[in-house]
Parts: sequence; structure tokens; C-alpha cells
Amino acid sequence: MQNAAFVAAALVFAIGLHGMLTRRNMIRICISISVMESSLVMALVAVAYVPGGSAPIVSDGQTMFVDPLPHALALTAIVIGAGILAIALALTVAMYRHYGTTDVLAVFGKTREGQ
Amino acid sequence: MPVITGLELSYFLILGALVVTAAAAVHMPGDLTAVIILSVFSVLSTVVFALLQAVDVAMAEAVIGAGFMTALFVTAIGKTRRSAGGKR
Amino acid sequence: MIRRVVPVAAGVFCLLLAAGFFLVLRGAVETGSGRDGPLLRDLFTTSSVDETGSVNVVTAILMDYRAFDTLGEATVIFTAVAVAAAILGKPRPTESQRTMGLLSRRLLSSVLPLFLLFPLFVIAHGHISPGGGFQGGVSLAVLVILIHVAFGDPFGQNVVPLRLLVMVEYGAALGLVAVGMLGIVQGASFLANLAAGFPSGTPGSLLSGGVIPVLNLLVGLKVAAGLSSLYIYLSGHEASRGDR
Repeated sequence: MQNAAFVAAALVFAIGLHGMLTRRNMIRICISISVMESSLVMALVAVAYVPGGSAPIVSDGQTMFVDPLPHALALTAIVIGAGILAIALALTVAMYRHYGTTDVLAVFGKTREGQ
Repeated sequence: MPVITGLELSYFLILGALVVTAAAAVHMPGDLTAVIILSVFSVLSTVVFALLQAVDVAMAEAVIGAGFMTALFVTAIGKTRRSAGGKR
Repeated sequence: MIRRVVPVAAGVFCLLLAAGFFLVLRGAVETGSGRDGPLLRDLFTTSSVDETGSVNVVTAILMDYRAFDTLGEATVIFTAVAVAAAILGKPRPTESQRTMGLLSRRLLSSVLPLFLLFPLFVIAHGHISPGGGFQGGVSLAVLVILIHVAFGDPFGQNVVPLRLLVMVEYGAALGLVAVGMLGIVQGASFLANLAAGFPSGTPGSLLSGGVIPVLNLLVGLKVAAGLSSLYIYLSGHEASRGDR
């Protein structure tokens, strides 16, 4: 179960990175960033998994738990990811207002013209 | 030869669907389509987190990934599409 | 030609990187599994109820063992709001705003208080069931976004003004620091919980865990205010009418 989650996380990370490197639309780049971030969260959760363990909420009669520390780190990562995404989208909107496009290459071309 | 239970089978299927939806979210034509697929991706990863016994993370991912991020993306797409004269 | 080659090369590069990613994760698990002696996770799960009074170990880590990190994370959200405000400027709600249909609005206005129940439950029960300040706070923010989407921005600004959100965010941040200082005043460290003499209560009941419920509430308010003001900054613009 853990290995399958590792493979999926690695593939999703590769997909996100590939999208971030090859897409030209800023919105798509933001989507790729959040896909990559989600894959990291998945990796953290998979590292925390213990076969046969239960959710880390202590109650009577349970002794095996999954590792709670990566869960706390993953929570932090998710909330900060939302903040990062908001800033990236704000930059995208500002870029559109300034250059009239969300295409990264077109913006590069326009900045080169301006010089 | 370990026996694969129904829960494990559905887990593997969801992992496969996760990879497919991630690829679709990055490469599908149409930004709004991609954003909705991204929120499907979030919901699927919520199920995976719940199966891996990470309940708190599952809850956060459900609320942020499917709720908050989608709202932000749709707003940003709206702000970068409707230009003044309809050109571009 | 180069247009064709670059995506393929990037794909191969990313797949290689993914293989490395997998190997690193595998290695991380294998290094940890061979050890004998107590593991950190057993330490957390066996002693957290006695040390923090919180049944939910993840909340115990977030709000007690690593509460300082949570304060840092609250700062990150605050910074995100500040950056978004600096980039996008003051939101100006447009007059001719599209809202949802009459039926949806009617229904929402009577159902919204019930929607409020879920975040409050999640925040209040953060130390005894799944959930906590972050999850509840984001649900609250989504609720504010729902008001904005359903009734239009001007109405949303009237119900939940940006000034109020900013005040809540400042207040929650100051409250977090004040609770931390209370630990020092009691003779323990910054953000100390039971070590500072706060009552632990019965683990598993609503009022337990020392300052953990208070921290949960403050973090929830802060996250809710921060994320919903992020949305308001992002949405509160005319679509490039006057500026170019």
C-alpha cells in the first residue's frame, strides 16, 4: 500500500514538474504548482503510514497508530500551499492587467520590445 | 501470493485515477475544465489520505483543495479573460 | 524541431526525477524501519494524552509540541495577505455584479446559519476528533466566499467588511502571542501548555487540553480572516477596464 502511494506521488510530481516546465499559460503553471504540492503531501502521508495502524486519535484498546508528525507537517504544507497559490494568482492577474495576456513567452517578448 | 481485498483494489484504482486526473489537469485544453479536474484530483487524494489513516490531512485537503483553491482559480480565470473590448 | 524535442526531453528528465523521488522515499522508510528502541511516533502516541490532554495527536503536535511553528505559519498567511494587497491594491466592488438566482439566494439565506455549524464544530472539537483550527478556519473562509459569490461583492462587503476581517486577523495574531506570553508569565516557556499550569481537564471531553482549544479558536479565526481576505483582494477588481 505504501509503495503504491510512493509510485503515485512520484508520478504526480513528475506530471506537475513537466507541466510547469512546458506550459506557457500562467494559470496552467499555477495548476501544475498545486499538483506538485499535492504530490508532496501524498508522499508525507505515505511515509507516515504503518500497516495495520489506525488514525492518530488515542482511544481505549488501540496500540498501533500511524505516525502523527508527518500529518502535522502535511497540514502546514497544505495551508501554506493555499497562500502560495493565492500570491501566484495575484501575480497572474497583475500580469494580465499590465500586459494583457497570461502567456509567459508573450510577456517575455513584450519586455524585450520595451528595452 | 498475497490476496488483494476489495478495499485495496479500490485504493489502487483511485491511485491510478489520481495520476490520470493530474495529467488531465495539466494538459486538458480549456482552463476552466482543468480547474474542475484539479478539484476532482483533490477529492480523489482526499479519499487516498483517508484510506492511509490521515484523517486530519484528508479534511484539510478536502476543504482547501476542492473548496478554496477552486474558488481562487475560477476568480483568477474570470479576471484574466473578460478584457475591455473583447479582443485578445 | 526544437519545439518537439524540448517537451520530450523535459518528460524524460521529470520521469528520472520521479524515480529518484521514489527511491528517496523508499530509503527514508527503510532507514527508519531497521532501528530498535522507541520510535518517535510511539513516543507521541503514548505520552501526548498525559503531556497535553489532547486525544487527537496531530492537534497535540500542531498546538502544543510545535506550537511555535503554527505561529510561524500564521505569519506566512499574514504575509500572503500583505503581498496580495500590495500587488492588487484596494478592492473596488463593482455595481453591476452578477449574483445567483433568486431561489438559490432565498434558500441560502435560510441555510447559511446551518453551514456555520460545521466550521464551529470542527474548531471546537479539534482536540478530540479529526479537524482543528486550520480545517475549520478554511471552511469559514469558504463560507465567506460563498456569501460573496451568491449575493454579489457589494452585499458581501456589507456583511463581512474587509476592515472586520483585518481586525480579526490582527486580533487573532495578537491573541496567539498573548497566549504564548501567558506561558512565560506562568514560569514556563513560550506557548507552554500543561507545563505552565493550565488545567488539563478530562482527556476526551470538550473542555480539556489546557490552552489547545483556545489556540485552535485563534488559529481558526486567523486562517479564516486571512484566506477570505485573500479571496476578496483577488476578486475585488474590475476586469481591466481603466488600466490598459
